[in-house]
Amino acid sequence: MTQHASPPRGSTDKVQPVGPLPVWRSLVARADVRTLSLLGVLLALVVVGGITKPDEFLDTRNLQLVLTQASVIGVVTVGMTFVITSGGIDLSVGAIVALSSVWATTVATQDFGFAGVLFTAVLVGVGCGLVNGVLIAYGGMVPFIATLAMLASARGLALQITDGKTQIVNIDGILKLGERDSYVLGIPPLVLVFAVVTIIGWLVLNRTTFGRRTVAVGGNAEAARLAGIDVRRQRLYLYLLSGLCCGIAAFLLIILSGSGQNTNGNLYELDAIAAAIIGGTLLSGGRGTITGSVLGVLIFTTITNIFALNNLQSDVQQIAKGAIIVAAVLVQRRTASTT
Amino acid sequence: MSQLTSRRGLLFGTAAVSAGALLTACTSNESKDEKPAANDQPAADDKPGKQVTVGFAGPQADHGWLNAINENAKSRAKKYSDVTLEITEGSNDTAAQIGQIETLINKKVDVLVILPADGKALTQVGLKAMRAGIPVINLDRIFNTPQAYRCWIGGDNYGMGFNAGHYIGEKLKDTADARVVELAGIDNLELTKQRTQGFDDALKNYPNIKKVARQAADFTVESGQAKMSQLLQAQSKIDAVWNHDDDQGVGALRAIEQAGRDEFLMVGGAGALSAFQAIKQDNGVLKATVLYPPTMAASAIDLARALGQSKGVGGLAEYEIPTSITLYSAVVDKDNIDQYMSTGFR
Amino acid sequence: MAPEPPLLSMSGITKSFPGVRALDGVDLAVQAGEVHCLLGQNGAGKSTLIKVLAGAHQPDSGTINWRGEAVTLRSPIAAMRLGIATIYQELDLVEHLSVAENVHLGHEPTAAGFVVRQRTARASTARLLERLGHPEVDPARLVGELSAAQQQIVSMARALSHDVRLIVMDEPSAALDPDEVDNLFRIVASLTADGVAVVYISHRLEEIRRIGDRVTVLKDGRAVAGGLPAKTTPTRDVVALMTGRNVEYVFPQRPTAAPAGAPVLEARGLSRAGEFAPLDLTVRAGEIVGLAGLVGSGRSEVLETIYGARKPSTGQVLVDGSPLRPGSVRAAVRAGLGLAPEERKAQALLMLESVTRNVSVSTLSRFSRGGWLDQRAELGAARAATRELSLRPDNPSVPVRTLSGGNQQKAVLARWLLRGCRVLLLDEPTRGVDVGARAELYAVVRRLADEGLAVLLVSSEVPEVLGLADRVLVLREGHVVHEAPARELDEHRVLDLVMEGSPAS
Repeated sequence: MTQHASPPRGSTDKVQPVGPLPVWRSLVARADVRTLSLLGVLLALVVVGGITKPDEFLDTRNLQLVLTQASVIGVVTVGMTFVITSGGIDLSVGAIVALSSVWATTVATQDFGFAGVLFTAVLVGVGCGLVNGVLIAYGGMVPFIATLAMLASARGLALQITDGKTQIVNIDGILKLGERDSYVLGIPPLVLVFAVVTIIGWLVLNRTTFGRRTVAVGGNAEAARLAGIDVRRQRLYLYLLSGLCCGIAAFLLIILSGSGQNTNGNLYELDAIAAAIIGGTLLSGGRGTITGSVLGVLIFTTITNIFALNNLQSDVQQIAKGAIIVAAVLVQRRTASTT
Repeated sequence: MSQLTSRRGLLFGTAAVSAGALLTACTSNESKDEKPAANDQPAADDKPGKQVTVGFAGPQADHGWLNAINENAKSRAKKYSDVTLEITEGSNDTAAQIGQIETLINKKVDVLVILPADGKALTQVGLKAMRAGIPVINLDRIFNTPQAYRCWIGGDNYGMGFNAGHYIGEKLKDTADARVVELAGIDNLELTKQRTQGFDDALKNYPNIKKVARQAADFTVESGQAKMSQLLQAQSKIDAVWNHDDDQGVGALRAIEQAGRDEFLMVGGAGALSAFQAIKQDNGVLKATVLYPPTMAASAIDLARALGQSKGVGGLAEYEIPTSITLYSAVVDKDNIDQYMSTGFR
Repeated sequence: MAPEPPLLSMSGITKSFPGVRALDGVDLAVQAGEVHCLLGQNGAGKSTLIKVLAGAHQPDSGTINWRGEAVTLRSPIAAMRLGIATIYQELDLVEHLSVAENVHLGHEPTAAGFVVRQRTARASTARLLERLGHPEVDPARLVGELSAAQQQIVSMARALSHDVRLIVMDEPSAALDPDEVDNLFRIVASLTADGVAVVYISHRLEEIRRIGDRVTVLKDGRAVAGGLPAKTTPTRDVVALMTGRNVEYVFPQRPTAAPAGAPVLEARGLSRAGEFAPLDLTVRAGEIVGLAGLVGSGRSEVLETIYGARKPSTGQVLVDGSPLRPGSVRAAVRAGLGLAPEERKAQALLMLESVTRNVSVSTLSRFSRGGWLDQRAELGAARAATRELSLRPDNPSVPVRTLSGGNQQKAVLARWLLRGCRVLLLDEPTRGVDVGARAELYAVVRRLADEGLAVLLVSSEVPEVLGLADRVLVLREGHVVHEAPARELDEHRVLDLVMEGSPAS
């Protein structure tokens, strides 16, 4: 019965233009209630951080820190947003990050230097995405199951490669990228990569045929198929894209931690899904927002940062994190339904 | 069009195959100076006795220390011509581990060495083995009841924290208003609570030292880096850090390097090789680490052999091996590093 | 009418949604034992009104009297407790539960308060199904395995499992074949004989005349006429009340000369095991060919097989004489085929998206510069295509879900128009489209044909096929039983063929 309790669609809905507009106007138009409420939540967090720890929180170094910590999961979330927008799910992102990071940091790979590590990290990510994509698009497997299987095997393979050991990176070029000397105009290289991935992701989702097809497949796969879209190939590309993002994220993590470990990327899948959903991407597909996802990631990272700065322990952190997720979603729903 | 596609396909295929070949080559971790992480202490010097089959069941070795446990057990068993080791693949799943141990019971091994994924949950299967007449050496994570094991051997988490606190206290005893931070391990493990308790108790002896912050990481490099960088941002000046685990310490050291901080000393925990090497080089903040020695697995093999051959422990007057052995959490710093270097695990 | 107070009287019901006043002071009075018909175009407020009646929406103002007493319907459960049951157009059944479980959902007969007594539930369900004239439906079967008509029976059984005094039926005949409609009317008659009131919503005026007692007409959220006698009010008056103008239910003029061009679309020996027997079919440029048949005759399956959405068992489809890869929608689309499917919302439209994006979805590569979308060109093209079909509102940036059924259909047609398709496959093109908007849609289809498109039309409404098509194929149980120019056929003849004609030799 619940489906009838919701306000009816159709002619009684508010008419919202969604067509192309000049860039600045479209940015304003797209900054819908949902995005604004997310910005509000983020702003509220900044106020809380600024009041509780004015010196430590409102500090350039802290901004650099928060953005750096957001970069790895942020890149993963951009890929995840595409997959969810298409009506799918990728539970294997954390495991792929782990596998890419350890495969790229073995002694043998490190012999190939900087390029070898980068190449391997990206290629392993893409390879895992390819397997996911083929299983889902052409093998007819449900995304939940196919990526769950990938989660298990990729973690297993990562463990097999490392034998549970931490693989230290000895390549100066990589290590340097994580240090202050490499900051470009005060921006850490990791954050630059995150920004570039975000911008490309936004453009691809909103301005290309690929993005449009992704939304169409997620909104109504049957309609997309009958409209002549190659739904299967699109699905394949999407999981490939998610794998690519995982590979990039793995490389960022290698820079950040100076090592590869099979426990890397722990529970990334849940963090990425949560950030995308809080951001306003529909779990059922058909609507996705990169801006929202990135805001979701930033909200999570800022919460963690404020808690750590205030020396709150993990029990309190976890309780509050859950409460803030619920609050953020409720605020969005309220503001979205009253306008 | 189709020709173009097929050529593209061919190119892509070739690229994929060669990339695959390259990648496969890249899984190798063999390096020239590889040496098994194990102990150099002499094995029991008595004559080979009756053949003993030792069953060994541990959790999944997804972490440096646990991996070192396995390797210690294996290499120790290899030193005895009269010991056969039946080792199960590790599992973190209680039910799976119970199944593995029951298999070992059915195989009628002479002695069982069990490092339970969860001590409380595996008590029953320990009891079962004991009732079936197979003596159990309980390694580290303790069963609910002493009836479930013949001998327990394990580390001292409280002592680890206490010794770390004592070491830092001695180093800072002349520093006025010293500020100390703690980077703990997984917070929902009892051992983390014990390590923190010991650390706090030791610091009580030094009224000039204050623990100004504590954050829990989760034994991974990634979390160590993340939590340590937040701690450093929160505390603009500190005098010492105690980090519960050398694996997450890799990340913590990385965060310290990235923040460009060096005004303090750091004490680690567990005894990883990378930590030992850093201590020996003495060019960073890491000055010491408190052992939680994986050699306990080698000792467990010694005990199992002794049990199987009905002998006591050499060097003690007793006819029987003790019921309980708590290892000492030694502090390793520059002065005694060479003695411990060979026990460092990767 | 009896002098006793009405069973239900609603007065001054007002309900607003953001930006829209859906109901504006509506009055409705229903007597026990009558069939009260509710008429109105899409968006007139019918569904909002019945949701208020079902307790799913709370009115902003107005009063509801039930058997002479003022009541508030706070929830669907509250309405059900009073004896008001609603059978929605989109049936709200759980496909993976059995018939009996659906009928008793939420009020299962239990032992000890929680153990479901399956046998009791099945027995009482069987009694209800028998009362509804469908004893052949097995209470133990899964609802998902039943036909649409049977599912509707289950939905009614669910309503009757409560002590019901008023049943609201939202377009119950939409998915039914004529004989099933007859059974529906029998059920309605037996319900009213027991004193139960029925609020009946339908687009089909002739049904209202057959079973209705009184009619209330809604337009733009107001009741423009209440309690008209259903049998005697002239159709023209009712249509005039609904649309606010007199509409001739007319079909566009056929071209004087039959199109004699080469066949554009051809099917040779096309069949699908279990669905339809091998058939041959040609459609020429400028020609509209109609497929007439009942639900289950295989007409939609024929269309979807031609389109490549289903893989044929035998035969082939040719466009301009060259065969299409079987079972490939993309091959069909590339060859110039376009399908406007029966289930528009489920099979054609991206409901969250704008009209523009719905129109351009099959033509994206045309607006692509190396993958980059030229959104200005896209909007311009979509605007041109929708203007050509006079789609309302004249703003392709509005979400497609805000459009009426007829305009949603035009959006689908615009998609294929924009693609420059040469063969248009129409499956029930006027389902869910207002009477007033149909004539306009017919004119559009005829104009497209006049411009050279080949059109293959499937419809269960015989007058539609006869009025619009040039040539008609009659399908029965997967066989083509007759083929003739439309002007040589009449409704009675086609109905005879559809129901009992023997396959032509």
